[in-house]
Amino acid sequence: MQKGEMFLGWSTKEDIRKRGGSGGLVTSVLAAALDKKLVDSVVVLKKINDFEAVPVITSDVNEVLNSAGSLHSVPSNFAKLIANKNLKVALPAKGCDVRGIIEQGKRNTIKLDNTFIIGLNCGGSMHPTVTREMLEVMYKIRPEDVHGEEIEKGKLIFETKDGKEHAITIDELEEKGYGRRESCRYCTIKIPNNADLACGNWGVTGELAGKATFVEVNSEKGAELLQNAVDAGYVQIQKPDEKGIAARARIKGAMEGLSRKWKEKVFIPMDNRLEYFRKELENCIDCGACKTVCPTCSCGDVSKCTEFHYRGDAYKMSMYHLVRFLHLADSCIGCGQCTDVCPVDIPLTRLYRRFANPVQEELKYEPGMDLRRPPYFEVKLND
Amino acid sequence: MSAEAWEPKIVAFCCNWCSYGGADSAGMGRFQQPPSTRIIRVMCSGRIDPLHVFNAFLEGADAVLVTGCHIGDCHYVNGNDKTKIKYKFLESVVRELGIEKERLQLNWISASEGEKFASFIRDVTEQIKKLGPSPLKPEGVS
Amino acid sequence: MSDTKGTDVPVESKDNQDKGNQDEKRVGVFVCECGVNIGGVVDTHAVADYIATLPGVKATSVNKFTCSDSGQADIQQKIKEHNLNRVVVAACSPKTHEPTFRACIEQMGLNQYFLEFVNIRDHCSWIHMWEKDKATEKSKDLVRMGVERSKLLEPLEASEVPVTDTALVVGGGVAGMQASLDLADMGFKVYLVEKEPSIGGRMARFDKVFPTNDCSICILGPKMVEVVRNKNIMIMSYSEVKEVDGYVGNFNVKIEHKPRYLDTSKCTGCAKCSEVCPVEVPYDFNEGFGTRKAIYVPFPQAVPLRAVLDKENCINCKACARACESKAIDYDMQTTYTDLNAGIIIGAVGFKTYDPEPGHDFGYGLYDNVITAMEFERLLNAAGPTGGHVIRPSDCREPIRVGFVNCVGSRDKNTNIYCSGVCCMYTIKNAQLLKEKRPETDHTIMYIDIRTPFRSYEESYNRARNLGVKFLRGRPVEVKENPENKNIMVRVEDTLANEIRNLEFDLLVLSTGVVPHDGIHKLQQLLKLSKAADGFLMEAHPKLRPVDTTIDGVYLAGVASGPKDIPYAVSQGSACAGRATILLKNRKAITEGITAVVDPDVCAGCGVCVPMCPFQAIKMDEEAGKANVVKALCKGCGTCVTACPTGALEQSHFKNDQVLAQVKNVFRFQEAAV
Ligand SMILES: Cc1cc2nc3c(=O)[nH]c(=O)nc-3n(C[C@H](O)[C@H](O)[C@H](O)COP(=O)(O)OP(=O)(O)OC[C@H]3O[C@@H](n4cnc5c(N)ncnc54)[C@H](O)[C@@H]3O)c2cc1C
Ligand SMILES: Cc1cc2nc3c(=O)[nH]c(=O)nc-3n(C[C@H](O)[C@H](O)[C@H](O)COP(=O)(O)OP(=O)(O)OC[C@H]3O[C@@H](n4cnc5c(N)ncnc54)[C@H](O)[C@@H]3O)c2cc1C
Ligand code: SF4
Ligand code: SF4
Ligand code: FES
Repeated sequence: MQKGEMFLGWSTKEDIRKRGGSGGLVTSVLAAALDKKLVDSVVVLKKINDFEAVPVITSDVNEVLNSAGSLHSVPSNFAKLIANKNLKVALPAKGCDVRGIIEQGKRNTIKLDNTFIIGLNCGGSMHPTVTREMLEVMYKIRPEDVHGEEIEKGKLIFETKDGKEHAITIDELEEKGYGRRESCRYCTIKIPNNADLACGNWGVTGELAGKATFVEVNSEKGAELLQNAVDAGYVQIQKPDEKGIAARARIKGAMEGLSRKWKEKVFIPMDNRLEYFRKELENCIDCGACKTVCPTCSCGDVSKCTEFHYRGDAYKMSMYHLVRFLHLADSCIGCGQCTDVCPVDIPLTRLYRRFANPVQEELKYEPGMDLRRPPYFEVKLND
Repeated sequence: MSAEAWEPKIVAFCCNWCSYGGADSAGMGRFQQPPSTRIIRVMCSGRIDPLHVFNAFLEGADAVLVTGCHIGDCHYVNGNDKTKIKYKFLESVVRELGIEKERLQLNWISASEGEKFASFIRDVTEQIKKLGPSPLKPEGVS
Repeated sequence: MSDTKGTDVPVESKDNQDKGNQDEKRVGVFVCECGVNIGGVVDTHAVADYIATLPGVKATSVNKFTCSDSGQADIQQKIKEHNLNRVVVAACSPKTHEPTFRACIEQMGLNQYFLEFVNIRDHCSWIHMWEKDKATEKSKDLVRMGVERSKLLEPLEASEVPVTDTALVVGGGVAGMQASLDLADMGFKVYLVEKEPSIGGRMARFDKVFPTNDCSICILGPKMVEVVRNKNIMIMSYSEVKEVDGYVGNFNVKIEHKPRYLDTSKCTGCAKCSEVCPVEVPYDFNEGFGTRKAIYVPFPQAVPLRAVLDKENCINCKACARACESKAIDYDMQTTYTDLNAGIIIGAVGFKTYDPEPGHDFGYGLYDNVITAMEFERLLNAAGPTGGHVIRPSDCREPIRVGFVNCVGSRDKNTNIYCSGVCCMYTIKNAQLLKEKRPETDHTIMYIDIRTPFRSYEESYNRARNLGVKFLRGRPVEVKENPENKNIMVRVEDTLANEIRNLEFDLLVLSTGVVPHDGIHKLQQLLKLSKAADGFLMEAHPKLRPVDTTIDGVYLAGVASGPKDIPYAVSQGSACAGRATILLKNRKAITEGITAVVDPDVCAGCGVCVPMCPFQAIKMDEEAGKANVVKALCKGCGTCVTACPTGALEQSHFKNDQVLAQVKNVFRFQEAAV
């Protein structure tokens, strides 16, 4: 097994295969890594209810096995969870998790050599609060009655405890202001080739549809992970057919195209930008939550953005945000975390991307996609 | 105050070895300049933190100048290469923020280029006079 | 947000400095009129009166000349009277007068960094001569900025580091030898490390040297002997520097000694061993002409005069061991290492010549009778492979018609754009030498320009012309071999006569340029030096500090820092010795008082700062995950401070708060404006 190879795989344990997002492969690879001591700990989601969960670090194989399944209303980013802990860890990761982890790696808070990243294809996730409201307004069901959720053929389906399924197309949801978080809509990392493995259901066709996970090996560490799970009897794999590979590539392309359209829609050129930024930031209460949650920032409590920001002196603009706009111009991965946590609902990611988009495009720098040093920290740029 | 009489306030960051010397040379050559500029000396242009530039704008600067030695002449080998990068970021943030590009300028000036320093200050002041006070300037500040 | 920022550098304070570090800031402001230079434009009294209203300002003065004795006495008097702990001088440029006032306040027991210097002359009165009111207002701003900054100033000490009075010289060519001799003669211990079995460098291979064409080894030989005889010099030949740690005054160096497979304390250099050795290999010292044995003495004048066994080609027949009367041979010898400590390091690793082989420049490597100048030098040399007979490789005949092509691998955008500086002259030399030996020979030098800048160089060129050496301005466009007689056919445009010429030579000599070699790269890595665009090592300043480097205590001599001839290389050797003596004799180096400082409580260990520093002053403490500034290496530029995202790094005397105090005080609320 080596870098670049693709497989279809599934858990050898029938109930996990059933509960899994596609073939239960991710859960089984994680469990095998822990079982065979490839790692000391694993990050998984621990459910609060049937559509909400929190990430936990565990060394308990059973807890890992319990976590099978995809949760689309859990947008938390795992990078900071494992930072500064010096773990030998395996974890599932959406594209933005992977990017956060790599950016932390560049800043010495995560040892990438000791981190096994199982990437999940990701078409986007939803904010839990928005989901709750959406359940009531759009689906007309009580959040407490939800028993499971699933995405199929462009529809978001909720199953209620009475066994009924409720489906609405994502397009319709988004038109009404629900559905995926804004940053997910324009995110172009649909298949995380920056992770050690990239797993998803795209490309699983025919008989196996819904019963297997499509996995691409992106690195030697990825090969090691998957081989370990095969050797340990946790998963079974086979080669995908050409049709599946082509379908996966096609969907990826189409999704990326849609993302680019969204990007144009969200970031329409503006006059009078200063007024816009001033207005948006007017309500900022300097709580610092956006910095704390930011998966590319590795500063502690004290940092330049906070230390030289005096509320009384920030007459027309927040010094805190100015410094962050600059410091993140090359490193913002557009994960949406800051918008998610802002207690006064400032659309921070949208603001930050306004600064990041032109810099990253001009410098041809994609943070979190490889180990390239952030340009701001270069000694010299070759122009 | 008439637009004619309005004197902008410009903060110029200079490195000790070149551009500060350039300002000294401008003085020695009696190259007359509008009294718009306040120079802040740092050892190397590489020490000019974007933080300082933002602070100047927030306090009321109508323009901020980042200056240093010519590339290759930095007293500390390559400090100004790093300045160039920091400046690129600053420039981009200031542009996206919607502040006129004339309000932030970079120039490499050697200790002997007094005339260049003076004409730089004249030019910038002229441009800023046309633009008027910075939109970030707090009310009541001069 | 947190305002628990740690404060750095509470520098060890002397008693009297505590006075300056007390909480209450008592500022004295001294406004200078500089005769009419300032006073003629700025209303200095209005400035002083305004400044006196600022909090913390306890005394103000206006002086005709603050720098005069009476002006300084006034400062000292006011310090005493008002118990001042900060002094602001508003006058001319700190670049000229800061030291004066620093000394002035230091005499009063204040730390010299408690002075703030404000420039209201060069930056104000002189440039606003016709706008007196505005100049006065601007002066108020400038002084206010200074006063507010002064309140935040912290005491600093320029630190001293002790200097071990031994020197390490890397490279035993003529430049390194000169540096070693000068230092040794001044009484310092010198380790001279040479990677070859003998010192001498390139010069040991030449027959004669331009411009006066004196016998090279006759002038170099005695110098080499002087080096070996000098008790203060320890030659480490056949050795290389493996590791360098530390900084000015205290470099810890690891030297690797390659095994010679014989005991140098027993070997007498009699060369009996090589007489009996059955193995013959091409000899690189002779540029591959002729052969040497597997055990050999490098050349008759070698220093140290010891044999060396080349294990790669040795067939282990042990004939040499039997022949050696002093029983010096030891086949089991191992690589050994020496750790030494040096206060300063001089790099004099020299160069190599441009290699025309890979590109087959002018047929080199394709045609037997195209050779390089270095090969020609060996053929000319009486001690060379042919006993001084220049022959052509194809048939060992002595050539009659000899062509020389200048600027091979120099002044050419396909190879190196720089001028190698010595090729014109050595080509003139070589043509002369052969012409003098064999007047029947005919010489044509094909050149782009002839460059003869120094004493006796132009004369040497004239001598060549008078001898009948032909100079043709033009670069060969085609070089071919006559397959029958192996003569070299050259097609060249004579750009002075404006005609294409087809010439036939028995031998074509390429004047190959001077290029950086692996030794330069190694030294650069070991000492963290910079390379210039030409690939040679870079000096601290091309004009004013030509033998210093950006690393304190490291100097460069000879071609290692760019093409030069022997007199220039020797001068640099002496220059390095002179520069180094300043440190070696004082036994201490003063390091910058203004440095970067890390607050470990804030440092996130991101490592961003480490590559920012051109002086390698920042080290990561891997264990603690914190950055650490080596003060002796830091030059205080502050670029790392700008990069640090957490603000853990601060530059003393230019701390963020100190700079921001100035920024904030550029401005005034209009109500407050006068
Ligand atoms: C928000 C989201 C969107 C997705 N969109 C697509 C898509 O558009 N196309 C596609 O091919 N695949 C998508 N996937 C991946 C797919 O749903 C499966 O996760 C994948 O095929 C692996 O299936 P599995 O059965 O092998 O994984 P399982 O064995 O079910 O393991 C899933 C693992 O992912 C973790 N996990 C679940 N939810 C999250 C979350 N929100 N954030 C981080 N980790 C989580 C669980 O803790 C568990 O460890 C998405 C996944 C998520 C979480
Ligand atoms: C063909 C030719 C002819 C020339 N003729 C003349 C002339 O007639 N007159 C004149 O003035 N100039 C002449 N020059 C120029 C002259 O060769 C140089 O100026 C002179 O040799 C420079 O001396 P150096 O000590 O800098 O270097 P080098 O002579 O190259 O000495 C460097 C020494 O360092 C050693 N070394 C290299 N790397 C290491 C290492 N890593 N560790 C330890 N030791 C190392 C080398 O082995 C060598 O011994 C000529 C040059 C060429 C190419
Ligand atoms: S201040 Fe300059 S010299 Fe000192 S450690 Fe920082 S980068 Fe290096
Ligand atoms: S840049 Fe700042 S936070 Fe990062 S290692 Fe250096 S001192 Fe520490
Ligand atoms: S010293 Fe002037 S730019 Fe570095």
